[in-house]
Amino acid sequence: MQKLVVIGAGMASGRVLEHLFDTAPEAFDVTLFNAEPRGNYNRIMLSPVLSGEKTFEEIVTHDDAWYADNKVTTRFGEKVTKIDRDRKVVVGENGEVAYDKLIIGTGSAPFIIPMPGHDLPGVVAYRDLEDTNAMIDASAKPGGKAVVIGGGLLGLEAAAGLRLRGMDVTVLHIMGHLMERQLDEAAGYLLKQDLEKRGINVMLKAQTKCIEGDGKVERVLLEDGTVLEADIVCMAVGIRPAATLGQDAGLEMGRAIKVDAQMRTSDPDILAVGECVEFDGNLFGLVAPLYDQAKVLAKTLLGEDDAFKMRELSTKLKVTGCDLFSAGDFAEGDAREDIVFRDPKRGVYKRLVIEDDKLVGAVMYGDTADSNWFFGLIKDGSDISEMRDTIIFGPAFQGGGAAAADPLAAVAALPADAEICGCNGVCKGTIVTAIEGAATTLDDVKAITKASASCGTCTGLVEQVLAVTLGDSFEAKAEKPICKCTDLTHEDVRRLIKSQELKSQPAVWQQLAWKTPNGCHVCRPAINYYLLADWPLDYQDDLQSRFVNERNHANIQKDGTYSVMPRMWGGMTDPDELIAIAQAAKKFDAVVKVTGGQRIDLLGIKKEDLPAIWSDLNDAGMVSGHAYTKGLRTVKTCVGSDWCRFGTQDSTGLGIKLEKRLWGSWTPHKVKLGVSGCPRNCAEATCKDVGVICVDSGYQIGVAGAAGMDVKETERLIDVATEEEAIEWTVAFVQLYRENAKYLDRAYKWVAKVGLDWVKETLDDPATRAALIERFDISQSVYQHDPWAEHVENRKAQYAPLADLTTEAAE
Amino acid sequence: MSQPLAPAATFTRIAEVWIPEGDHLVHGGGAYDGAEGLSDLSGQMSFAKGEGLPGKAWAEARPVVLKDFDGSYFKRTEAAKEAGLTCAVAVPVFAGKTLKAVLVILCGDDADHHGAIEVWEDEGSKLVLTDGYYGTAKDFEAISQDISFAYGQGLPGGVWAASTPILMRDLSRIGAFIRAEAAGEIGLKNGLGVPVPVPGDKSFVLTLLSSENTPIARRFEIWDARPEMVGAEKKALRMDGFCAVEGPLWPKENPPVDAVSASAWQGPVGQVLGSGLPEVHQGATGLPKGYTLMVALPVYKDTELTHVVAWYL
Repeated sequence: MQKLVVIGAGMASGRVLEHLFDTAPEAFDVTLFNAEPRGNYNRIMLSPVLSGEKTFEEIVTHDDAWYADNKVTTRFGEKVTKIDRDRKVVVGENGEVAYDKLIIGTGSAPFIIPMPGHDLPGVVAYRDLEDTNAMIDASAKPGGKAVVIGGGLLGLEAAAGLRLRGMDVTVLHIMGHLMERQLDEAAGYLLKQDLEKRGINVMLKAQTKCIEGDGKVERVLLEDGTVLEADIVCMAVGIRPAATLGQDAGLEMGRAIKVDAQMRTSDPDILAVGECVEFDGNLFGLVAPLYDQAKVLAKTLLGEDDAFKMRELSTKLKVTGCDLFSAGDFAEGDAREDIVFRDPKRGVYKRLVIEDDKLVGAVMYGDTADSNWFFGLIKDGSDISEMRDTIIFGPAFQGGGAAAADPLAAVAALPADAEICGCNGVCKGTIVTAIEGAATTLDDVKAITKASASCGTCTGLVEQVLAVTLGDSFEAKAEKPICKCTDLTHEDVRRLIKSQELKSQPAVWQQLAWKTPNGCHVCRPAINYYLLADWPLDYQDDLQSRFVNERNHANIQKDGTYSVMPRMWGGMTDPDELIAIAQAAKKFDAVVKVTGGQRIDLLGIKKEDLPAIWSDLNDAGMVSGHAYTKGLRTVKTCVGSDWCRFGTQDSTGLGIKLEKRLWGSWTPHKVKLGVSGCPRNCAEATCKDVGVICVDSGYQIGVAGAAGMDVKETERLIDVATEEEAIEWTVAFVQLYRENAKYLDRAYKWVAKVGLDWVKETLDDPATRAALIERFDISQSVYQHDPWAEHVENRKAQYAPLADLTTEAAE
Repeated sequence: MSQPLAPAATFTRIAEVWIPEGDHLVHGGGAYDGAEGLSDLSGQMSFAKGEGLPGKAWAEARPVVLKDFDGSYFKRTEAAKEAGLTCAVAVPVFAGKTLKAVLVILCGDDADHHGAIEVWEDEGSKLVLTDGYYGTAKDFEAISQDISFAYGQGLPGGVWAASTPILMRDLSRIGAFIRAEAAGEIGLKNGLGVPVPVPGDKSFVLTLLSSENTPIARRFEIWDARPEMVGAEKKALRMDGFCAVEGPLWPKENPPVDAVSASAWQGPVGQVLGSGLPEVHQGATGLPKGYTLMVALPVYKDTELTHVVAWYL
């Protein structure tokens, strides 16, 4: 009988022994070392043990009786210190054992971030029963607080378990969404929502600075200054192969112990399996390939032919009630196409990634019923071109025939009691009855049944019921949706962002049933604007959703260079500013142009020079003129009563005050102001978005002028007596425009749509004006800062070539 | 694992199902543990809305615990007392606004019986104990009345947050449980938490806490029947459970491709999937080896059957 020594009683080596004993029970005399003081247990089920949903006894794979029955000599709780290949012995803490064949199955070790405080008592990894018990013991303290560092599979399972045990749990994740290796942003958003519903606090983009405590962990400090109290800190940030024994023994190493397809190391008498091996450049962390390896290794030991092959993997998070599935590759790519299905009411998101008529990736959240079928299509590389239109509906919808070919058939096949509008509980039968009773448009159905009258996400479905019922006589609404990503109009989306309190892009995509994973170059800038305008304190402006000029804070010119234009408040400047501008122009070889907006434009600046020229201009006290934004551009003024014989008021002073109040704010489109000191109107204020004409009795405020493709005179909003009132009405008008206009509608287009009377009526109420101004000022507290200074400080790297172009908007 | 000895006594003794028929609830079967008087009487009875214990659960649209039959609305007091019963729990099963059935569980009461049946009700942001039967575990009862659970916290809070039944083990080690120590003292070991949806905004969670010596059951199962898990076919996957005979009953693979499946009308659990009604199945036929009684409770979300919990004796 050959002597077989196994180092490590993990799941992979345990499976090897099962195969050996099943196939050739008398072939080997087995000695099994394990550093843990126990035998093989189902390590991936430690999470339900932590949560209390399983006992440790339930997850034991091999108990004492099993080892005894199979005559395994167990040396549990004993570390192996050395492999002596020359003498073919394994050296344990309590003595040597000779081998004919040796299996290394030492698994992996958790990675601990070497931050200050990482070695305090109370900081644990999440790898074995000892870690699990430490967390269970910590949870015994009533009102205890836990911080989990790492929002991957293990970290989230630890968080859910600790929460179920009653702790206040915060998850810190350095990336922008949870489980980013397995999920895309949309699914990560839903997972975050689900965890937050369980009372778990999730902090994304969280940079941990250090862990502190007097003799034991007491708090975690983040880079942004946040302090989190903690009775226990679980660090679940990844694993590293535990391959030191192999390395010390002189085996061929990569990032772990290198094995061939038969699981042999560079020494033919030593085999290795599991997380401590590297095969073909790959490391392993999920259990499925480990079991494949175990089978191959057992066959190799028995002299049978087999070869380990890499295969597609899928993932399941073991948090009760969180249903997610991910498999394959779901990165975006030029040759790839996404099919997305969302059901906001049920919290369902499904995304399939197709390349060359094959399914290459799938991400699902909330509905994983067909995951095995999709997984099979990925693994087999099946041609899915025949079922392209209906594949997202799963296998039940395949098999040819009219139903498979026509997505409308899905709606036709719905029973009368199928709910179409979840908000108002309207079923298909009610809608059909309304249609049969002469409702022929979406608005008719809305009015009669209330279907799609609330959140509006079922609008497409209601239209499909109309189309199915009325046939060719149904004409869809003329109002265009934002883009192909959605059936909703800009107005619908603006309303829903407010009413449903949607405060992030993933929230919009999911709750409004976007048909693409994360929008497109058309909708992303609009949604980004709506979110920052409505939720300035909650939403963080997404640079990737901006047009190129706004991303670079400069206007790109036809030759690829940029123009740089510092702000000149109310068109005023002084010698020092002019000197600084002249020096910058010389230094960066700029062409100098005086603009119609009473500023100086420096043209021909290279992209890589932008931070340097901004820095120079900043040093002279100047800030960006925002000549490139959907925001306040200039406030053009005349010289006013200080200098002009006809001037009635201080038009320059008012212009400067308005510009200093409004600059930096994002608006649906660009906003230009003018203030003229008398009706002679030298500042051409009557063709601006807001134009003020000073008169002896005060200020005439006009709005909705234009002087571009369209030329239009302003319309009188109000006449006021004082400068303060002029500023008050102007700010209130701009905020009303910010909150209500469609993205890329200039003020004159928006006023034409809503009517000047509505604008006047709304602003006529002092309380409404005050509330608008308050909201504007809140927004300015976030956005009124000089982007040049910020970019010079933090974003110099942006002026190198950009990386992920697929998520960026084109001009 | 060898066949266990049947426990001398169980915490719950009798289970019965009441089905709406017109404006009354009629008897839909039950297991009476030899209490023939109660069995015979129950078969002849029906309850209007608000009448008797089943009618009260229907009218109030919430689980109801009755701890003293004397002078109460309980209609079968004499027969119940004759059978040594002292407490009854009625659990309404609603599919949306429609009452599907009422499951009634009756328990005995003596110093040797430990277990608990609790009803938790949401009070905005927390769950508080609204009703409960603890047998003779008075200390444990007193502690339970003073605690509350936030979303996701402890067995009731976990069930509430996840909208799914949860089976917990080793209650005496659940620290959240300020009551862990007290639970350990009286031998409470396992807990089954079940959401009880009712019309309106209120959330209820039913918890069955089982001790080792007088268990509520020797086998527990949770079946997942959600379409988002099993697809269009009417079936369910067994996602958790344990058994004194077979040991763990949950899938070992991840993803759980090896989960045991039951189709509608196939076997006792299949009856629940097919009919959508609670099931009290008596006799060994169709049950796992070693068991002669199954009580199964369907769980709905809106009008959709999402889970089945089953316990066996």
